[in-house]
Amino acid sequence: MAQAVQKLVSKVPSLIGAAVTYSKPRLSTFWYYARVELVPPTPAEIPKAIEGASNLIKAFQTGRLGQTTVKDALRNGLVATEVLMWFYIGECIGKGSLIGYNV
Amino acid sequence: MAPPVAVSPLIKTARWSALLLGMLYGKQRFDYLKPIAEEERRVEEAEKKLREEQERIYKQLSEANSDTILK
Repeated sequence: MAQAVQKLVSKVPSLIGAAVTYSKPRLSTFWYYARVELVPPTPAEIPKAIEGASNLIKAFQTGRLGQTTVKDALRNGLVATEVLMWFYIGECIGKGSLIGYNV
Repeated sequence: MAPPVAVSPLIKTARWSALLLGMLYGKQRFDYLKPIAEEERRVEEAEKKLREEQERIYKQLSEANSDTILK
């Protein structure tokens, strides 16, 4: 038993090295996409965002929204769901735990 | 690899403001629920003591009242 534990402990550095070698290219692809797609909006982009929101409201008012294809509607629904999920992740961060409130 | 797509600024602001709002909401709700849970725990402690006391008295009485020859 003690010998097995010793062998395991001696293998840990090589395991960590293997994990790093495995994850490095995947991490780099993640950063490659995240640096462009996941960054917070710069202050210059916020007026554009407000403009986009008002475009949406105008499209809703003129009834143009009824002309979206089902494919577009599904895609927009998926994007809206993703934005909603960010809210729940923020809630998990705010309450300090993953499942439930640790009061 | 496909080039990274340029995300519309509306989606970007919506995402990160949703994250911020979620953090604030989570913190606020946690601060609201914490004293309520502590109060509940305190009340539960007091009630538990009372119940155990009553159970002890009941047990003592029932032992005193039961007359069997297997004493």
